[in-house]
Amino acid sequence: MRLVGAAWRNTGTFSILDSRDTMAPFVRKELATFLLLVVLCVIVTALNPRFVSPANLQNTARLIGAFGIFSLGLGFVIITGGIDLSVGSAFALLGVLLSIMLTTWRLPWPVAVVLVLALGALLGALNGLLITRLGLQPFIVTLCGLLLYRGLARFIANDQTKGFGDATGFQTLQRMATGSVLGVPTPFVALAVASVVMWVVLHKSVYGRHLFAVGRNAVAARYSGIQTDRTILIAYVILGGLTGLSAIFFAFYTNSVSPSSHGNFFELYGIAAAVLGGCSLRGGEGSVVGILLGTTLLQVLQNLVNLLGIPSSLNFAVMGGVILIGVVGDQVLRRRAVRTAI
Amino acid sequence: MRFKLAVSLACLVALAAGCGGRQQATSGATTHRLAFITNNAADFWTIARKGVEKADAELANVTVDFRLGDGTAAEQKRIVDDLLAKGVDGIAISPVDPANQTAMLNDAVQKAIVVTHDSDAPDSKRECYVGTDNVAAGRRAGELLKTALPQGGTIALFVGKLDARNAQERLQGIKDAIAGTKITILDVRTDDTDQVRAKANVSEMLVAHPDVAALVGLWSYNGPAILNAVKDAHRIGQVKIVAFDEDDETLTGVKSGAIIGTVVQQPFEFGYQAITLLAKALAGDRSGIPASQQLFIPTMVIRADNVDDFRAKLLQLRGR
Repeated sequence: MRLVGAAWRNTGTFSILDSRDTMAPFVRKELATFLLLVVLCVIVTALNPRFVSPANLQNTARLIGAFGIFSLGLGFVIITGGIDLSVGSAFALLGVLLSIMLTTWRLPWPVAVVLVLALGALLGALNGLLITRLGLQPFIVTLCGLLLYRGLARFIANDQTKGFGDATGFQTLQRMATGSVLGVPTPFVALAVASVVMWVVLHKSVYGRHLFAVGRNAVAARYSGIQTDRTILIAYVILGGLTGLSAIFFAFYTNSVSPSSHGNFFELYGIAAAVLGGCSLRGGEGSVVGILLGTTLLQVLQNLVNLLGIPSSLNFAVMGGVILIGVVGDQVLRRRAVRTAI
Repeated sequence: MRFKLAVSLACLVALAAGCGGRQQATSGATTHRLAFITNNAADFWTIARKGVEKADAELANVTVDFRLGDGTAAEQKRIVDDLLAKGVDGIAISPVDPANQTAMLNDAVQKAIVVTHDSDAPDSKRECYVGTDNVAAGRRAGELLKTALPQGGTIALFVGKLDARNAQERLQGIKDAIAGTKITILDVRTDDTDQVRAKANVSEMLVAHPDVAALVGLWSYNGPAILNAVKDAHRIGQVKIVAFDEDDETLTGVKSGAIIGTVVQQPFEFGYQAITLLAKALAGDRSGIPASQQLFIPTMVIRADNVDDFRAKLLQLRGR
């Protein structure tokens, strides 16, 4: 009763700036994903206890880290009501450039890292500017990005796989990107740090409030004095920077970048993670915890296909099936709650 | 009205002249337009390209169009349609999905001479297949496994897609070679050419089955993926690795001993022989085509003792 009443009371005004009332639906979506994750982990551990072995936890944590970093950024963009399909191709382009910077130009690795992050942010800014200044639809702009960056990556690399070999000159970087900190894989540590920062930005800062406002009702937000263009642009730049960071981790994970196939369709993992975690594709909803849960769920699903010996051909079928069950269950429970509330 | 009529007539005349002119050019000259189409954009094809360019340079009256596929049958159909529309005389193609591309290949045969390379489409009307006998290649990999695991053991295989004919044939060859030994196949994991997934599959296999004795990578990027995963798990030397093709990292792994050996094809010869065959067939000389319509290019097994020589030759071929 309280939930529905609160929603009715608050619609039409700028209640989106008061996240307290709008928190409850998020909590339920996150809760559903969290429960699904817990249930899945329990079942898999029962079927194959090696699921919780240190080696497997480390492997999975490494992938959760790499995928989670850019999923956070993608979640921000989705909260604005936009989307970014060019992330996967950006991985290819940034990976190729990283390889060239380190192995051909022999730049010092800190310089190369900063350049890749800056370039990622620049690509994000490009997307953001086209979307805000020219009013183009995010889908189209980033679709073009998907095609453009892939083509550029292939052209720059001359369609050859770009590798890092034995990393002469940047072994520190390779060790950092592929290693662990006190047993915790570096990408996961990076994700933890990024999550804390993004949580503060999204849930505790003025910018975060503005982000939700713009996503919920851009016109109302603008009329209430929020600079919607800048808010959206910053979201895309954040995604770009995080994409750059993830690109470095992915490039070193495989130790080579095949420009035609590296990162292919990875943006779908990010979008799925964000949506599973409570981000509505219509914008205005989402949470950092939810995105983390979504990413973890996706990686656990892929992990269990291998651990339980499920045929590789069913990899995506399992993911789709379990996600569908979760989403349907969540919707059924929500409808029941609304009905009993009335 | 009269202006529109005049413009339309002018266009028609230009079109007719253009068509007529083109016909003149192709019937008068003896330049044959050939095309070499790959199935994807892997490094493997950069070597094949050198072979194609060498054949192109040696043969007079031949121009070759080198086209990279993107791993899908749809893109190959688009490329073939484009080339046929441009009036190509001969096509050498590595079909992504031979079983379902038979119709497309047969259509192409109506307008040009078609040979397949790297991956055969034996049910189609193609003139010849130039490439590896993948079953034999698989058998050579199986022999490597037998020397690596004299006491037997379980093995796992990793490949991009199992519905690719070369993957199935290599698997068959390995099964043939290890039949009767104590080596058993645990599983074949696929990764759909996602190299992150490829490495993750190996890492997770090592967790799920820590006692796996050997890992085999059937496609060119699977070798490095396996090597990296085994390295991360600190099990180099404990788990034996057999690979295919000559990726840089694979060769480095062979040199260091982490990889027992790799079965390499000769993509240079694919390019060279395919184009030469096409040119000769267009000139009426089909003597180079064996009765079986399959021209097998032998594979080589690269182990620690011959990897340096092979690398040197590769550098020469790649022109790097």
